[in-house]
Amino acid sequence: MRDFPPVIDTFYARGGGEPSAAPDTRTRTRFLLWMLKLQWPVILTTTALGMFWQLPPMFGPFIFGRAVDEGIVPGSAHSTVQWAGLLLAVTLIGAVFGILMHTYIVRTWLIALYGTMKMVTRKAAQMGHVLPRRTPTGEVLSVASADSDEFGALTEILARTCTQLVAYLVVAFIVLSTSVELGVLLLIAAPVLVGAAFPLLKPLHRRQEIERGRNSDLTSLATDIVAGLRILRGIGGERTFGSNYATQSQLARQAGQSAGIWQAGIEAVGVLFSGVFVVLLVWLGTRQVISGELTIGQLISFLGYALFMIYPIQTFFEFAQKLTRATVSARRAIAIFEQQPPWIDATDPRGLPEHGDLVDEETGFVAHEGQLTIVVSAVPEDTSALADRLGRYLTTDVEPISEDIGEGVKGRAARRARAEREAERARIAARDEERARQRWGVTLGGVDLSEVQLTDVRRRILVSDSGSQLFAGTLQDAVDPHGRLDRHQAEDALRVANAEDVYDALPGGWQGQLDERGRGLSGGQRQRVVLARAIAAEAPVLVLVEPTSAVDAHTEARIAERVADVRRGRTTVVTTVSPLWLHHADRIVLVQDNHAVAEGTHEDLLLDSPDYRRVVTRAMDVDGEVEEVGARG
Amino acid sequence: MVDLLATSPDTWRDRAADAPVIPQELIPPREGSFTDRVRALRRRHALRERRALENYAQSRKPERGWPVADNRAVLAFFRTLLRERRRVFVALVVLNGLAAATGLVVPRLLGSLINETVAGDAESSLNSLALLIVGVVCAQALLTFVAQRTSTIFGQDLLSSAREYIVRTILALPLGRVESASSGDLVTRVTRDVGTMSRSVQYGVPMAIISSLTVVLSVIAMLLNSVMLAVPSLMVIGLAFPQVRRYLQRAPKGYINEGATYSRINSTLTETVEGARTVEALGLADRRVQAGDDDIDISAQAERYTMTLRNLLFAVIDVAFNAPRVVTLLVGAYGYAQGWVSLGQITAAVLYVEALSGPLDRLVGEVDRLQVGAASTSRLLGIAEVPADRIAGTELPDGPELVGEDLRFAYREGHDVLHGVDLRLSTGERLAIVGPSGSGKSTLGRLLSGINGPRTGTVTVGGVELVDLPLETLRTEVALVTQEHHVFKGSVRDNIILAREDSGDDAVWDALRAVGAAEWVERFPTGLDTQLGSGNQPLTPAQAQQVALARLIIADPHTLVLDEATSLIDPRTARTLEGSMSALLEGRTVVAIAHRLHTAHDADRIAVVIDGRIVELGSHHELVSRPDGEYAALWRAWTS
Repeated sequence: MRDFPPVIDTFYARGGGEPSAAPDTRTRTRFLLWMLKLQWPVILTTTALGMFWQLPPMFGPFIFGRAVDEGIVPGSAHSTVQWAGLLLAVTLIGAVFGILMHTYIVRTWLIALYGTMKMVTRKAAQMGHVLPRRTPTGEVLSVASADSDEFGALTEILARTCTQLVAYLVVAFIVLSTSVELGVLLLIAAPVLVGAAFPLLKPLHRRQEIERGRNSDLTSLATDIVAGLRILRGIGGERTFGSNYATQSQLARQAGQSAGIWQAGIEAVGVLFSGVFVVLLVWLGTRQVISGELTIGQLISFLGYALFMIYPIQTFFEFAQKLTRATVSARRAIAIFEQQPPWIDATDPRGLPEHGDLVDEETGFVAHEGQLTIVVSAVPEDTSALADRLGRYLTTDVEPISEDIGEGVKGRAARRARAEREAERARIAARDEERARQRWGVTLGGVDLSEVQLTDVRRRILVSDSGSQLFAGTLQDAVDPHGRLDRHQAEDALRVANAEDVYDALPGGWQGQLDERGRGLSGGQRQRVVLARAIAAEAPVLVLVEPTSAVDAHTEARIAERVADVRRGRTTVVTTVSPLWLHHADRIVLVQDNHAVAEGTHEDLLLDSPDYRRVVTRAMDVDGEVEEVGARG
Repeated sequence: MVDLLATSPDTWRDRAADAPVIPQELIPPREGSFTDRVRALRRRHALRERRALENYAQSRKPERGWPVADNRAVLAFFRTLLRERRRVFVALVVLNGLAAATGLVVPRLLGSLINETVAGDAESSLNSLALLIVGVVCAQALLTFVAQRTSTIFGQDLLSSAREYIVRTILALPLGRVESASSGDLVTRVTRDVGTMSRSVQYGVPMAIISSLTVVLSVIAMLLNSVMLAVPSLMVIGLAFPQVRRYLQRAPKGYINEGATYSRINSTLTETVEGARTVEALGLADRRVQAGDDDIDISAQAERYTMTLRNLLFAVIDVAFNAPRVVTLLVGAYGYAQGWVSLGQITAAVLYVEALSGPLDRLVGEVDRLQVGAASTSRLLGIAEVPADRIAGTELPDGPELVGEDLRFAYREGHDVLHGVDLRLSTGERLAIVGPSGSGKSTLGRLLSGINGPRTGTVTVGGVELVDLPLETLRTEVALVTQEHHVFKGSVRDNIILAREDSGDDAVWDALRAVGAAEWVERFPTGLDTQLGSGNQPLTPAQAQQVALARLIIADPHTLVLDEATSLIDPRTARTLEGSMSALLEGRTVVAIAHRLHTAHDADRIAVVIDGRIVELGSHHELVSRPDGEYAALWRAWTS
């Protein structure tokens, strides 16, 4: 039987293994059934345990009634003790099975919860950079953090509903066999009682939704204040944003209060109806006792059952509510899980040649084997698109499609909006696939990147773009994420990137902790650690996009020299316009309007290409000074 | 030069030898006798407890991040809040007491009905008694409504005051700390801790009050019904007390630890998804999946700890809260036989005992929730304990001249990053500061803009020390310009008027015109009232930067310190913003911490900072012509 945390290898198996069957994402119901099927023995066991847990409420009132009739009223101590012993036994059995049921409920809940989280992580691993293109990060995360809990809740309520259904039927049998009239009243009244609050539920839910919306706005205001706190304390605006927050806080308070008033109404109605029901039951029961159809003990049993019957019915309603919520969550989960990577590995993949130039056919850009090539362009977007192509990445030219259709959109409009989103996402997916299937247009040693396996491309060509991210962990993990380096290699990488000061600044050196995304380091420090990591990877082909944009001129000069030195003999492409890099290049390619228009060394290009001069001297911002200084020097 | 990597051999670690995230002792044995297994479970539980306590202790004494207040501060905070709304609080107690009391009348009436039935004279009084119960039930329903409504109003009011206080505190944090500390911890506090506090304030406080009222009144009602029937039952219930206390001492720490494991799962996954491209590029997918699974393993251990805690609690209370039924039956039978109690009293006693277990369970749960809430609240109140970094004087600057003398500064004690820097700015000049990273030039910028006070020496404007100025004045004298072009959630106006919050619309439009932003703002149908920030009207990066520049136009300081490493100017938008930037710099003294040499070239004077000292100071032409000069060497590399 499964235990938590479950072993999952859906979508992605570690160590290059074959992933297990993907979930059924055809419909929401099928998806939920798939989730439940994963652990049906656990759910079944939970249900079985629950039946014993329910023994005291099922039989307690009956036993007490019999004790009154056969023990207390006739004054038979023997009988009283017998029934009391039975009641104690039932109570103890209930307690023991209560613990077992609780243990199993935790298990089934957490299998669903952790299982969903693991599936999301694996989906992200399987999709790679394509996932953030299609779906906003927040929605991916909320499947793991919020929807997973709804699936857990569904398994729990399912098991509980089954046990309560059995309890309801048993009690129905007991009461009907005692008194048909009262039994029928009990069976009809319970659903009526729970249903009585139903008309109030809708307005309550509407208000709760408003409250939730305002509360989440409030949270994002607070996060916004914290995010901009340096500005608020540095430049000012505390009063304005403090009062904006207070206003929103008051709106949230009002929404909470108006939802609370409906909640109070529902509770009051519950008190009223269940009270009236008890009175009705007692009134009828007493009449039957008077007419001799019922014993006093049986009447007392009925009072006990009257109190109990509300629980199964409440459970049934709870089941309906949680099923609805799980269905909504299933839609969000399917939106993530049904996505497929666009890459279809060639049926007959070729190997990537060990030698040869890297060629981009679209621009005509060529990086010769073993050389440091620098790409210069006045438009940074052009060079980053070129870098994406060189590494076989889909460019980030699309906005991810959100599932969230906004508040207040309901019914047909909501369905239409969702269908539109779905179509839009399908269109992007189809376009990605189309793009991935076609000839890629970048060749290494004459072989197009689409003809080889993607893992092969990733192993050979490393693109470190400006969005490269650091992960929480030690500095050692950051520079050597695979644990492949020895200490000297790691030290060398830090030196090349001139990031020794990061080592020095972190308490604990290599074991110093970096926060998530390297937060806590300055932009320049982050950039240099990223560079050290890229250098340490020792990729045969390395593409660096603006590797020193946040670094000062002194450091940049040092880095450019060291990178050129350490990469000597291996193909390296750097995109930058900084003169401190340019004179280390073996070759410089000027890209304009997506075409390689000129190439040569820095000196050649300064002399020959007016366009190059314009782009590069713009970076120096000293039009005409170059010659002057050159002449003086 | 010092080898910064000198300690590398000591801190480098062979990770192949790393211990697994879950120690072997925490994995249950596959075989063994029942007693062996129970013993193993006890050992695991003890170990899980130790791990939970360690994590909890760490969350109370963060190595990095903001301080945490103690429990006394939390109590004092809520006491003040309660005192402010004493009348609602009294109403809450009275109304809920009345609602609970009316509810307790019904079992008594049912008991007397049983008595009359037994006596055989129920027929005459049945209808009137039934009507009386209906009346009581109606009263109870009405009181429940009013009482619950009061609870909601009270809880929501308490909550809104508490969270507004927290945000006010955050907005008053000392400038120096805000600039240096990472905001991650603060974000967690305003999201997760405020959420936890909300749940406990909004529901926990009123529910705890209601449950304890119900329990107390039930006990009274039981005693009034029959002391003989009540006392044995209450004693049995009382037996659970030590175990409940044990549980309540441990559970909150367990839940806080559990919550922390979930936020760790979340942040690891966030990194994996946001860094998807990096993960793919470096082939880190296996590692990230492993990291996620490790987090889940740790979280599962935290869950197992609280699960066992609950099981230990349930083992006792499930018996202690249900056994009174049996006790009532036995004692009742004996008393009935002796003629001490009636059947009606027995019935009422059973109904009371049944009704008591609900509020008792809830009370345990609410105390649990309150403790977890209190832990979050103490983290929130910790923010208020950050000591102020300056006390504003009353003296106002006489003139705009900025002078730094003998400046030294250390982030860590004993590690000065500036070693006695002197710098005098002439009004209206452009000074560029260049130097390698770590040389102290950014620190110098922070001292010159009054973000931090120097360890020794002074920075004065018009003869008054910057750190003696009230912030409102400081902001209109010197401003540090960083790359943070954060666009706030709020109107265009709110986003601009920061430094002078009473600015009129004309001033806002003037500022927008100066930076060339008026045109696109005019195109918004709602003009200055247009809501910006995440989820609202989106801005291009260039527009966001114009907003940031317009803020400075409103602030109108005579001196600007530009930290260019992180400067406003994004290379992608540089061209479009040149005009806006020069409008801002016009007529002001400018200190530019230059990372691009063209900035230095254009400056009136250049200060070269190396290892915390100004080693060269002069104009571009002066410095370039020094044959061995640092600046000259750099310039040659730049332009050759």
